[in-house]
Amino acid sequence: MSDRPPDIVLIRPAPAETALHLSPALLAVASPLLLLLGWEAVVRLAWLDARFFPAPSDVLVALWQMLLTGMLLQHTFWTLQRVLIGFVLGAVPGLLLGLVMGLSPWVRAFLKPAIAAIYPIPKVALLPLIMMIFGLGEPSKWIIVAIAVFFQLLLSTIAGVLGIERIYLDVARNLHATRLQAYASVALPGALPSIFAGCQLGLGMALIVVVIAENFGTDAGLGYLVWRSWQVFEVTDMYVGLMMIALLGYLFQLAMGRLERRLLRWRPAATAMKGTP
Amino acid sequence: MRSDYKIAIRAVTRRFGALAALERIDIAIAPGEFVCIVGPSGCGKTTLLRILAGLETPSTGEVAIVQQDPARPLNTMIFQESSIFPWMTVRQNVGYGLRLRGIGAAERARRIAPLLDLTGLARFADAFPYQLSGGMKQRVSVARAFANDPELLLMDEPFAALDEQNKALLQEELLRLWSAERKTVVFITHSIDEALVLGDRVLVMTARPGRIKADIPVPFARPRSVVELKQHPDYVRLNHEIWKLLRDEVRPAA
Repeated sequence: MSDRPPDIVLIRPAPAETALHLSPALLAVASPLLLLLGWEAVVRLAWLDARFFPAPSDVLVALWQMLLTGMLLQHTFWTLQRVLIGFVLGAVPGLLLGLVMGLSPWVRAFLKPAIAAIYPIPKVALLPLIMMIFGLGEPSKWIIVAIAVFFQLLLSTIAGVLGIERIYLDVARNLHATRLQAYASVALPGALPSIFAGCQLGLGMALIVVVIAENFGTDAGLGYLVWRSWQVFEVTDMYVGLMMIALLGYLFQLAMGRLERRLLRWRPAATAMKGTP
Repeated sequence: MRSDYKIAIRAVTRRFGALAALERIDIAIAPGEFVCIVGPSGCGKTTLLRILAGLETPSTGEVAIVQQDPARPLNTMIFQESSIFPWMTVRQNVGYGLRLRGIGAAERARRIAPLLDLTGLARFADAFPYQLSGGMKQRVSVARAFANDPELLLMDEPFAALDEQNKALLQEELLRLWSAERKTVVFITHSIDEALVLGDRVLVMTARPGRIKADIPVPFARPRSVVELKQHPDYVRLNHEIWKLLRDEVRPAA
């Protein structure tokens, strides 16, 4: 035993947050803004070659001019249209087949090997084949996007349905739900969180694929803008295209997040996120 | 032909591969009877209930259940773990069975309202399950089963996960609901107290493979008060008697 007096541990109210109280929205804007500012500075100081890395201010000027001529909106519209049509064409069958494969071990056992074999093929590698079959026009662009989206939705829907606790299906069975009722009231809502994750990935995939597909058989679209700028060495225009693609991707994420929060109100996590800073 | 039983379980066995879960079960249950089944864990009581619910089939033997009214659902099961859908509100969960049968929203609301009141859920009708305590979730399961209005209620240790206070409250609620409608109930529990408080009859099962070891009538008059019942000398005697029967079964399993 020592003669030392015992230490006293005090637990007190946390000090009020005063100095830096940044909202998450502000923080979210801060990183891209800082990146742009840094980039601008580095180009102005001629540390970066402006031929390959034009200053963001120059890109914005080019973007503004292209906006005024209406060209930029045209390109954006075409890309958006291809992505959305392709997305619906791929997502709907992916979702439906995913539900069936999730609920039926039979169908799953039958189709899984084929899907496992086709899935790893990079979707853009199918583009030449698709253009041979469907020609150079719009359908081949929708279809390549649809294929990419289909697999994302299919796999995440299957995973979602398989992740549903068995007891919920037992309840539906005990209450004599028909097959269709079980799909609508248990499989679909239960798999929805996973389906949303699949949609997010699918949209990202759709953008990648469409930009590559727009290298062929079209003179409109953000992908076309990037490829043509490459051919004529209009690097600033290329950046305009890249920026718009990034913006589209960001808006897609934003829209999906909105939709998810609305449809998944029943999840504690989704609601808790809103309340906490 | 008139029958005096509601359920007749005849020589039912159930095997899962090499494992025998149930061995020659014979039980007759009268209409409106509240039967409790107690047994050591792993004795196949849940399997027996799942067979009655149509979620499993017997390996041999048969079960006959008398259906009085083909328009009503024959049975509804209340599960041990939380089985209410997290993606539906309390109201939607309670009305789920009715919705599956194509009963319209107005009629559903009319049938559900008294049950929400009885189970103390009215204020939470539009809450999602994650906002409820464990006891309230189990109330939703009970309300969902009663709203479905089956002839036969199958309950698989529905209150096992609850604390003592909630358990006692829900037992009384169950008795109140049951005495109003006199459904036939098969109630599985590992609690002797629960079986004696609720049941007309207690069936004691052996360790695996499960057989019926004893069939004990519970003589207490209804309506029963959970607290007073436990003071009754017969209660203490029966409790001890069943405990001895079970102890012999738990020992070899342990």
